[in-house]
Amino acid sequence: MPTKGSSSGAAVWAVFRKECRTEWRTRYGWNSALLFALATLISVSFAVGRLTGRSDLLSALLWIVLLFAALASLAHAFVREVEGDTMTLLRLVASPLAIASGKLLFNLLFLVLLELIAVPLYFVLMSAPAPPAGPFLGVLALGSLALAASATLVGALIAQTRGRGALFAGVSLPVLLPVLAAAVSGTRQALDGGDAMMEMRLLAAYGAAMIAAGLLLADHLWEE
Amino acid sequence: MSERAAAALALEAQGLAHRYAPGRGLEAVGFTLTAPGAVAIVGANGAGKSTLLRIVAGLLRPSQGQLRVSENGRDLDAAARRQSVGFASPDLHFYDELSAAENLEFAAAARGLADPPAAAREALARVGLEARARDRVPALSSGMRQRLRLAFALLGGPRLLLIDEPGSHLDDGGRAALRAIVEEERRHGLVLVAGNEEGDRSLADQRIELRGGGLGRLS
Amino acid sequence: MLSRGLLFVWIAAWLVAAFTWAPLVPVLGETTRVLYFHIPAAWVTVVALGWSMVHSVLFLVRRRMEHDDHAAAAAELGLLFCVVATISGSLWAKAMWGAYWNWDPRETSIFFLLLIYFAYLALRSAVDEPQRRARLSAIYSVIAFVTVPFLIFVVPRLYFSLHPDPIINPRGKVDMDPRIRIAFFALLVGFTVVFFWLLSLRLRLARIERRRLEASAAR
Repeated sequence: MPTKGSSSGAAVWAVFRKECRTEWRTRYGWNSALLFALATLISVSFAVGRLTGRSDLLSALLWIVLLFAALASLAHAFVREVEGDTMTLLRLVASPLAIASGKLLFNLLFLVLLELIAVPLYFVLMSAPAPPAGPFLGVLALGSLALAASATLVGALIAQTRGRGALFAGVSLPVLLPVLAAAVSGTRQALDGGDAMMEMRLLAAYGAAMIAAGLLLADHLWEE
Repeated sequence: MSERAAAALALEAQGLAHRYAPGRGLEAVGFTLTAPGAVAIVGANGAGKSTLLRIVAGLLRPSQGQLRVSENGRDLDAAARRQSVGFASPDLHFYDELSAAENLEFAAAARGLADPPAAAREALARVGLEARARDRVPALSSGMRQRLRLAFALLGGPRLLLIDEPGSHLDDGGRAALRAIVEEERRHGLVLVAGNEEGDRSLADQRIELRGGGLGRLS
Repeated sequence: MLSRGLLFVWIAAWLVAAFTWAPLVPVLGETTRVLYFHIPAAWVTVVALGWSMVHSVLFLVRRRMEHDDHAAAAAELGLLFCVVATISGSLWAKAMWGAYWNWDPRETSIFFLLLIYFAYLALRSAVDEPQRRARLSAIYSVIAFVTVPFLIFVVPRLYFSLHPDPIINPRGKVDMDPRIRIAFFALLVGFTVVFFWLLSLRLRLARIERRRLEASAAR
């Protein structure tokens, strides 16, 4: 049968669309992630109160909320495949790299949608003024990319262990800490009116390094 | 039905073996098979029939030995193998959130087929599942799911068709469709069927028998 | 036998020398003595991590289980030395700066290594099948390798440093009294040899384990 040109790009897109569609049909992952993010947010707000003018605490707590939301949700894409026993199907139609890339795109979209709700809500609950858009969004975007790339890679591993996602938080922590450090520092800079260039470069480099590692390791991820 | 030239596909195995654990797995086996044709893989439970099919499909890396899948003399890499191979086995499951047609469309799109919905429709028609195309997978009976597996294996016209336990759960209509499919496919390419039931074995004219410790080929 | 005895004598002798023969560093006072333990332990932690990571890569490339044995054994020992380094460093910090933990760059780095070791071993404990365990932990090792330079170079720039030497340099301070330097390097070498000796013991154990498993399965 005639085939399209580069089937790898087609595979990535097909995996991404499939993820979106299956998630949309149940919305189970989304609901639980959103609830978790909101619960964390509300707990922090309740415990800390208003943080006007405390850019150090504001930036730290924001990223803790985002980190926890990521830990609660980003392994889901892989765990679902393992629990539904659909890995055989997936591996027969797409290369390991296409699978990982498709899932990464999905996780990134997922994280962005979560942030669209959680971040504005955060600033409202903390009674903090909205920061100047440029550097803040830059750190948020690059930090999310680094977060998604790292968590996707580790998630692919964790899903294959006994206990599935249970270890996800512990095992991914070392890998996510550099993101946390740079993102918190950068966000604080942005809130104080600085340009956060160094932190953004760091986050971009880290994200790129993780993606490069993924490219190299993809073939080994699911090989039996 | 699209025209397909008979593929010059060849399978060559040398000392192929896989150990799951000490004492369990596929014992070393070697064979050379060329398209067209149909081959039955037989053996006792645990002899490694499913393991062998998984190795040929590229899902499993054998702990020993070599397998060459070539077409017109050129070796197929993993990506090319994905395009040419159709695989169905009892542990092939589909996405419960998607319908039968959607599952096949996804598979066709991921493989890079030009018209995924058409490919899906065609495959479903060949196994007689067109009426249930829109049903979600959990709504299908076990027999229908087996047909869906066969449809998946047939997507895009595979030149190497691998079916593990082809007749499981199938009713008479299903078995008839299965027989027709194998008859059709063995003219275009290579079909490997693994199973214990006589009905499965009779689909093929050649056999590879897996034994603990060796290979016996009876034609 | 003889070499083991020599090793013990070496370390014992140099420890005595470190406490009696080598002078104190003026700034550090009596706490000078810690550097004979703390820095070699930190050095071995890094060596062990490097050894483990190199063998992880080798495993992925060659797929030989002995590389996995090396990677796992080195990680277990690395954790041990890392705990020694962290605790000795913490005690030193208390004596020098009044607090057991300050999150300064070096403390953060060693803590971070502790986390990597824990995560790696936790991952291994969650996989039963040896081949899969080897593959997954090897992949994780490579991922962790990516994070290490970021934490070594990110952390010092982002946080204030209390630590005497801001660059990770296992040789410690640049101007050391010659006696201190001699005793220190002697113990550095001694610790490294201890690590490789323990590694060889652990590897022997791993090999025996594997043979025992195979023997019991073959029965």
